[in-house]
Amino acid sequence: MRKKSLFKGSIAISTVAILAAGVLGTPARAADPITITIWTFGDVIQRQLVKEYKDLHPEITLQIKKSDLDPLNGSNMVTACTSKTGPDIVAVEVQYSGYWRSYPKCFTDLRKMKTSDANVAAGIPAGKTALDFQKNYLPWRWDQGVGYDDSVMGFPTDVGGLEVAYRTDLFKQAGLPTERGAVGKLWPTWDKFIATGVKYNSKLSAADKKAGKGFVDNAGTLYAAIMNQGTEKYYKNDGTDAGKLIYDTNPQVKLAWDTTIKATDAGIGTRIGQYTSDWNIGMNKGTFATILAPAWMMDYIKQQAPDTAGKWDIADLPGGGGNQGGTQLTVPSYAQHAQEAYDFISWYLAPEQELKVFKTYGLFPAASVLYKDPALLNYKDPFFNNAPVGKIYADGVQKVKPIFEGKLQRAIDQAIGAGLGRVAAKKMTAVKSWAQVLVDIKKVINN
Amino acid sequence: MSQLKERGGRRKAPLSPWKSVNPNKPAKSKKAIEGVASLDHRFGIPMIAPFFIIFLIFGMAPVLYSVYISFYKWDPLGGSTFNGLQNFVTLWSDSDFWLAIKNTFSIWALSTFPQMAMAIGLAAILRSKRLRGASFWRTIFLVPNITSVIAITIVFQQLFGRDFGIINGIIGLFGFHHIDFIEGVVPSHIQIAAMITWRWIGYNTLIFLASMLAIPDELYESASVDGATKWKQFRYVTLPQLKNTITFVLVVGTIGGLQVFAEPQQLAADGGSSKQFLTLTLFLYNQAFVNNKYGYAAAIGIAITFIVLIISLINFLITRKISNDGGGR
Repeated sequence: MRKKSLFKGSIAISTVAILAAGVLGTPARAADPITITIWTFGDVIQRQLVKEYKDLHPEITLQIKKSDLDPLNGSNMVTACTSKTGPDIVAVEVQYSGYWRSYPKCFTDLRKMKTSDANVAAGIPAGKTALDFQKNYLPWRWDQGVGYDDSVMGFPTDVGGLEVAYRTDLFKQAGLPTERGAVGKLWPTWDKFIATGVKYNSKLSAADKKAGKGFVDNAGTLYAAIMNQGTEKYYKNDGTDAGKLIYDTNPQVKLAWDTTIKATDAGIGTRIGQYTSDWNIGMNKGTFATILAPAWMMDYIKQQAPDTAGKWDIADLPGGGGNQGGTQLTVPSYAQHAQEAYDFISWYLAPEQELKVFKTYGLFPAASVLYKDPALLNYKDPFFNNAPVGKIYADGVQKVKPIFEGKLQRAIDQAIGAGLGRVAAKKMTAVKSWAQVLVDIKKVINN
Repeated sequence: MSQLKERGGRRKAPLSPWKSVNPNKPAKSKKAIEGVASLDHRFGIPMIAPFFIIFLIFGMAPVLYSVYISFYKWDPLGGSTFNGLQNFVTLWSDSDFWLAIKNTFSIWALSTFPQMAMAIGLAAILRSKRLRGASFWRTIFLVPNITSVIAITIVFQQLFGRDFGIINGIIGLFGFHHIDFIEGVVPSHIQIAAMITWRWIGYNTLIFLASMLAIPDELYESASVDGATKWKQFRYVTLPQLKNTITFVLVVGTIGGLQVFAEPQQLAADGGSSKQFLTLTLFLYNQAFVNNKYGYAAAIGIAITFIVLIISLINFLITRKISNDGGGR
């Protein structure tokens, strides 16, 4: 009996000792095992490259935690920054960049970080700050990761160059040209795009119409595409950090809204919401012939509709050049392993790695030095009928003009999106819905 | 509901089965309960202290803090300023708030009443002596209850899909127009109510079943001697005996109904294009964690507390009335 309790006691003591060692032990030398925690969403961090990094640095464990974008860039990051505990790296999507640029205090200023000699063998020189890497990237994409106080919060991963993915087989059935150059010429402007949609729909049989088929997956997607072709969104760069709200006066907003309403009224969309189960099924069934596809969506299409391989192709976006999405990898101010995190980011987002990601997963690199690289320009994707996707997207993103992004851009986008949804569902007239949008935006801004 | 009444023959089913009292045993006197003598104040208070300490830290403190920040314009990153009663004034005039109340009660009604009727029906089937594999059915009825809400939502969204959903497929077979179970106000409520019903019906069925099993067989025997059909036995014997259980299920259902969150949030995080399924809890969540208006959200939380208090009062009054009526009859 006594012996047993002694044994128990020794377990207790050793447990305490282990715990104490864990708490008191100081993580000092680089050779010690280190865990870098990464908060991310979707496919921003690619498993293949994580493995590669593990081979380079067996002592480093990359712990990837995925969440949905909105809680991740919203409440999770707010909580982490308030409590000053959290991951070592966070992926910030560009829709939230306006918001987080207002809070540079939540991020480590990468201008003040220097790369260690950890990745010299992998081609990343030591002693470089973020400013030394800036020249590698598309300037406006870089700026989306720069705080209002000019601190550098993160490096850009990809750029969501926007083009039109279309089904060649369905275009043929409707008597439209199928060759990508000719298709692009069908719609130099958005009005022509809508007209093409009307023409396509008129060729549909009665049964197809009853089954809800249409030209584009969702006419509401035109809004963001048109919006991002302008030079200003909801804020005017008036020299202040916050900018001036112009959502109710900016003609670009009006143009994007009106054109989208026109497309909705013309019935060119199927009204299927993106990323719903209906959307995935529709993609397989040919319910819609076109999708406004950012580069990162190519991989999604491949995964969801593998049987449609070779039937897709990519054509230019109406109005020239578009952008939707993109992400910054940032090091928060509360990161425990800021140095290792910075070393990882400078390696992971180096042009060489971004090219690999593009070829395997279709995320189009933000590293603009690649836009002249034949490896990118000559890259063809068999799934998309051997379209030179590298060249198409490279041409597209270079036409995009930089936009000043304000703090509440995401919230305003959502209010307008809901407004377009109401019109599409025929619950309100466009005029009434817009009035409601203005009320909703006011509610978010005030109080 | 005195012990005296209980002793004069078993007139009613107990409120809940696990509290059943053997009516033949004489009632205990007010003497200290055997074996629990330590429940006097010397040891009693330290014994129950852990609960209250944890409750004070994790229950009471956040509540008080919420009350505090409800008087502020509170942004965790941007700082806070005293706002007086402005949050409550804004809330009172916020159409979204009233819409959320309307939606919450609509979803509550659609999920509670049909569910209750079905649960009683299912319990009656489970009670039937001719049913084979009774324990199997009883077990399997609880499976939805332990399924993740997110998984349920994903599956139900496929069932209710506007273009390719099975339900619309069937509706289409009869030549009707497809119903949009997200954009439509009532259809979206039906979709959410269906998810809640599916998840909770098994649980409620078992509650009703337990209560039915406590109804003495003699009642049915005498009813059948009097020539009552199965339906009449159900109507005039079973249902009246379930009165208290129905109240219980209603109370629990109401509390759950005010907390409906995950289902609408999964359908559309903003509660739909015209906020057609924005519930109170979702409204609170969005103000706090999407718009970063923590002060305003705290004010909503307090408003919800008042709504719950009012409903609890109504429940209390109804329950008391039933008890005074003598329960069963």
